[in-house]
Amino acid sequence: MTFWRVTMQRSINLSKTYVIIGIVLALYGTILSNLLPLLPTNTVNTPIDLTNIFPLLSVAILSLSALLFSMPVVMLFVYDKNNGIFEYLLSTGLDQLDIFKGYVKASLLLASSLLAFVIVLNTVIGTFVGTSLTLLATIAILTFSIGVSVVFLVTVSMIAFSSLQKTRMGANQPLGVSLGIIPVFPALILPFIFPSYALIIDVSLAAAILLASIGLLLSIGKLILREKLLP
Amino acid sequence: MQKLELTEVSSGYGRNEVIHQLSLKITEPSIYVVLGPNGAGKTTLFRTIGGILKPFSGQVKFDESDLFYSKETRRRITYLSHLNAIPEEMTVLDALKYYAEIEGGDVDRVLDLLNLRELKDSKYNTLSQGQKKRVSIGKIFLRDRDLYLLDEPTSNVDPKVSKEIRDILIKLSKDKFVLYSSHNLYEAKEIGTYLILIRNGQLKFFDKVENVKMKHYRIGIKSLNDISRLLPEAKLENDYYVVTVDSPKMVAGIINDLVRGGAELAEVRELDNPLQELFEED
Repeated sequence: MTFWRVTMQRSINLSKTYVIIGIVLALYGTILSNLLPLLPTNTVNTPIDLTNIFPLLSVAILSLSALLFSMPVVMLFVYDKNNGIFEYLLSTGLDQLDIFKGYVKASLLLASSLLAFVIVLNTVIGTFVGTSLTLLATIAILTFSIGVSVVFLVTVSMIAFSSLQKTRMGANQPLGVSLGIIPVFPALILPFIFPSYALIIDVSLAAAILLASIGLLLSIGKLILREKLLP
Repeated sequence: MQKLELTEVSSGYGRNEVIHQLSLKITEPSIYVVLGPNGAGKTTLFRTIGGILKPFSGQVKFDESDLFYSKETRRRITYLSHLNAIPEEMTVLDALKYYAEIEGGDVDRVLDLLNLRELKDSKYNTLSQGQKKRVSIGKIFLRDRDLYLLDEPTSNVDPKVSKEIRDILIKLSKDKFVLYSSHNLYEAKEIGTYLILIRNGQLKFFDKVENVKMKHYRIGIKSLNDISRLLPEAKLENDYYVVTVDSPKMVAGIINDLVRGGAELAEVRELDNPLQELFEED
């Protein structure tokens, strides 16, 4: 079993709370995205355009669920650093980028597995309640692209800040979450302003965030010194 | 011939240089005890040799290959830190498998070597300190290596486990290099063939333990009868007649004289550890 796969399993075992919260939030997002066909028809004509808001809200919530679902990976990162595991891994010939990649892969795989499950579930439920196929496809694309890019950026940011902190408490993790989420806000807000271009805007932003995350990962692999991974 | 060679190595953390221009060459498979007070730089030295820290300057070579840059050479060495570095939520078997997956190796061999088979399904975090240390040491024996770096491997373990670990290392040192740091001077004298003394990040002494010379040796002699008449210069301390000599070679003459004078000797022992004096020197 590869390093990242073991890391993924260990993360799930480490904190089931986050996993459960992630799943519950994902189910809530699924319900939200399929609520529209069940709403009374006159509600659609209110000043608030629920036709746009409901599916997009569900995209935000589903992305957040993926983030929470993969959060234990970064907690494990801090734990392994403090426990001397990285020190041993470095002595075996791995370098810091190998270690970072292992945790990022684990995080992305965890997030992707939840998102894939949620997209399938959403499509099945949506088909059953009569949500349009176009809307279901849009939600699927947006949820996966934004969800994965959010998780990627937040994980890399949290890993970077956790590596750089001097104390052993993992206290810099919230900073990583904050900085990781900020670039994602436009993906959640712009579609409300330009609903016709929602898909293009969000997919483009997701691609940009993915590229930035890859760049950040490669940079921290070079810029963060090995000694920062020592307990 | 295998050899570990450090050439004017300076190393540390950030801008804090801990090891200063240290040169060292070891060519004989054996146990090298690394001694030094707290903060002397022992752990930094091990981390630098182990390829964990990049030297600020100088080179660490094993068999002419730069240890920091050659992953292949790094696979021939292993490092045991004073932390156990085992995922606490795993069972003993899973923890060993975890490392075996990353760096290869034979888990079964380790279970037998360190008597861990009966603990293999126990959660690591339920084990005693000694058992945890055995698991931690187990991971460095997953594969055969040529150089073993052990940072205080017997700290926090009971004498039985400590002896088991020493026995394994003694067996290992017949054809492997073992660098072993310890604060226990008696253990160092018992296990070490060579002594490396580090102080303030610099090499202060490197020679065979047997060549460590003391200015004076305190010899304790226990006798079943009163020998104060035969040894008027001796002081009585805890049932031992204590004499101070300039060289261990003088002890045989003293013993012969005592026996000829009618002493019924029960025990003769060196009271101080010869490494103590070296350890405390300025």
